[in-house]
Amino acid sequence: MAKIVDSYRFLDGITKRLIRSWINLETPREIPWTPLANPLSDCTVALISTGGIALKTDRPFDQEGERRNPWWGDPSYRIIPKTAKSEDIHVYHMHIDPRLGEQDLNCLLPIERLEELAELRKVGRAAQSHYSFMGYLLDPREFLEKSIPAIIGHLRADAVDVVVLVPA
Amino acid sequence: MTTIALSNVPDLTMAVSVPRLAGIEHPFGQIMGRPGDRDGQRAVLTAVLEALEEMKVPGSIRHLPFEWTGPEKEAQPPEPPPLVGYLKWHPWELPRLFSRDLPGGQAGKR
Repeated sequence: MAKIVDSYRFLDGITKRLIRSWINLETPREIPWTPLANPLSDCTVALISTGGIALKTDRPFDQEGERRNPWWGDPSYRIIPKTAKSEDIHVYHMHIDPRLGEQDLNCLLPIERLEELAELRKVGRAAQSHYSFMGYLLDPREFLEKSIPAIIGHLRADAVDVVVLVPA
Repeated sequence: MTTIALSNVPDLTMAVSVPRLAGIEHPFGQIMGRPGDRDGQRAVLTAVLEALEEMKVPGSIRHLPFEWTGPEKEAQPPEPPPLVGYLKWHPWELPRLFSRDLPGGQAGKR
């Protein structure tokens, strides 16, 4: 029998109710659609993680801001170069265990796994840069108005064909 | 650009009308697999990309076959998130979270 993923397996009781409530708040809308124009073996692929991952040399995501106002999440984004290793990054998301992604970046942003698939010619090439933002954003307006256009600009400049969105 | 979203809460992700969705039953924090499990992580990424290549209809979903063996409460954050602590002391605010009626008139409801 084919597997059906249990959306609620890793959620506690209140969070299960919360997710069901949020699902009921959504209304159907037009689905944005860009067909895959070429075989994956000809495509440039980029990854985006909601793990709040940043290089240690980059500006941290604002955890103190979220501690001061628990309803707020940092709406900015960070660039993660394709050469980044686990020891180069920090995970700032406060709703997951960051130690796992810091032990192995590929748990949240599978950069090295993507490079391996490029070497195997499963994909054409990995993008020069990947991206991360904070998944905890109850108010997404600033993220949508500022971070998303900027990320799209970077992706276009890098001639990215395919983007994989990886949750934290 | 052609996109696909991986999600361990596919019911919610599907509700926001993503073009392509790959559902996976892995816990938060290790969505691609356990630290160091190169083969497992590569298998997940391969399956996601194969799903993208095969999906021709907007709103397609594929439930990935990977099984997670481990406790559901594995790998909790080292400290509770700020909102959890806040709601513990202000439980009357919980309905605002359910309705996304954020304090200060921040956008929440659609």
